[in-house]
Amino acid sequence: MKIIKWTPLIIFIITASILPLFTQQEVVLSLREGLPAIPVACPTFQISGDQPFVQEAAQTLREVLLADLKYSRVFVPLPESYYKYIPALNPNNIRFKDWESIQAKLLFVGQVKSNNDQKSIIFEGKIYDVKSQRFILGRKYQADRSLLRLAAHKMADEFMKMYGEPPLFTSKIVFVSNRDGNDEIYMMDYDGHNQVRLTYNRVRDYMPAWAPDRKRIAYTSFKDGQAILYILDLEKGTLTEVQNEGTNFAPAFSPDGKKLAFCSTLEEGNSEIYVARSDGSNIRRLTFNKAIDTAPTWSPTGREIAFTSDRGGTPQIYIMDAEGTNVRHVSFGGNYHDAPAWAPTGERLAYVSRVYLIFDIYVLNLRTNQIIKLTESNARNESPSWSPDGRHLVFSSNLKGTIQLFSIDYDGTNLRQLTFKGENKLPDWSK
Amino acid sequence: MKKLVVFCLVFLITFVFFNGCRKKVEEVPPPPPQVKEQPKVEKVEKPPQVKEPELTEEEIFERKTLEELNAEQPLKMVHFDFDKYDIREDAKPILAANAAWLKKWTSVKILIEGHCDERGTEEYNLALGEKRAKAVFDYLVSLGISPDRMRIISYGKSQPLDPGHNEEAWAKNRRAQFTIIAK
Repeated sequence: MKIIKWTPLIIFIITASILPLFTQQEVVLSLREGLPAIPVACPTFQISGDQPFVQEAAQTLREVLLADLKYSRVFVPLPESYYKYIPALNPNNIRFKDWESIQAKLLFVGQVKSNNDQKSIIFEGKIYDVKSQRFILGRKYQADRSLLRLAAHKMADEFMKMYGEPPLFTSKIVFVSNRDGNDEIYMMDYDGHNQVRLTYNRVRDYMPAWAPDRKRIAYTSFKDGQAILYILDLEKGTLTEVQNEGTNFAPAFSPDGKKLAFCSTLEEGNSEIYVARSDGSNIRRLTFNKAIDTAPTWSPTGREIAFTSDRGGTPQIYIMDAEGTNVRHVSFGGNYHDAPAWAPTGERLAYVSRVYLIFDIYVLNLRTNQIIKLTESNARNESPSWSPDGRHLVFSSNLKGTIQLFSIDYDGTNLRQLTFKGENKLPDWSK
Repeated sequence: MKKLVVFCLVFLITFVFFNGCRKKVEEVPPPPPQVKEQPKVEKVEKPPQVKEPELTEEEIFERKTLEELNAEQPLKMVHFDFDKYDIREDAKPILAANAAWLKKWTSVKILIEGHCDERGTEEYNLALGEKRAKAVFDYLVSLGISPDRMRIISYGKSQPLDPGHNEEAWAKNRRAQFTIIAK
């Protein structure tokens, strides 16, 4: 079996067409964008002491770390079967040649021991570069048994940071769920674990959006026939009212966290895009026309805003400068587009396109003007939001009957269901 | 002789008269007959009551709570075409009736709620619902209702009237409905 990876398209087509002439072997081709994933060896963690909870903790930590690395698309864990080809790891005398022989680029050495209090564990992780046989970085975490997943996510984020990527595994997704009766705001880990409720208003809370500091959430609350925009500070527990005249919705913080774009009908009862300071002061209007303008999303530089408008007759995606000038139409090939989400990596814009009853998510590459259809299902796939590294998206879908949240990679692979209780929608992934 | 006859007559009359009177006085009434029959049914009649004066329409209106008033739905909802927010022809008489009611009860303030069906996306639908509410608002203003008496809100597709997934349900859900918020 011949595996050809990471070759430019032309070479791959030529190779694929010539190869069968020489051999009858099965040819497996896989073509992916970007650099090849980095193989990481992550042998079973070293355990000090024989308490069962330490062993369990070590197992959980390793499982979570491996799942994170696998999800990243930057790293790929070595297949478990490879470990048996070489002698077991000796942390005091690492034989790097062995690890190189099974194609590991990075070696992760994990050690878990019981803390003196017998309740928490100490998790120490060291990352080595196999080829240069060098220690790259080490981290040590003390974690309560209930926080093992978080400790593993923090360790996995060190891998991301090492390669100049934003922390992905400690990022959170906020969303709206009716699992406890009415629509309230909830939060979960990127992988769907650890789902917690954030609002207890007994009124409809809607359209949450993260501030880039990962501490504040803007959202709309329907109270007494009003749709008021609030900012909830998760650390201080404070709630600040931003705008209470008219219907206010679809908040979006600028990437530097200093500004908040949102939709409001405070003038003329028509949805227009406004921008305020992130504390809600100094509200300025950006769009001025009789059509609907909604769903603002900032470019990663904060210099532009993409939004939906039906000024041309049907809802389409437009981009304007952050001051409201220089508006241009960017969506094409359909008559109903909404919910633009600008990837933090810059060139990609995800949005929803409707064809009769079906909503699918498309990704427009703003540099090449190429469009990829990300979802292909007889369902309503809505409200895409990018992961901090721009390789994954979360969205809502009624694919399985009820409306649930799913995540998918930028190339349409790795679809995962994240929520199961009640109906869940309007996700926003922290950046 | 004549005198004797008169005397006799007077005497006789007097005698009879006095005799009659004496008898009456002296007569011992017979003991009451034993009751053998069932007693006569006495009809118990409702004692006369003070009648509540008829309430005027205004007084009836005054006494109702906002909840009771809203439950009666004196203002009828109107529906919209798919992806549209202009007032349909069939909605105009309904809005005219609503305007007439609002003119009758001049103290009433209302909230106009715009709703959409599930075939729109969340963000656009919230704006579309607002447009529908605004279209109704403007139409009522054109019929002479003061803008100060009306507020608008959009719920997008979050509050469907009919949870179904067919044309019939969607047609029901694309609507503007009214809530009385003050009277």
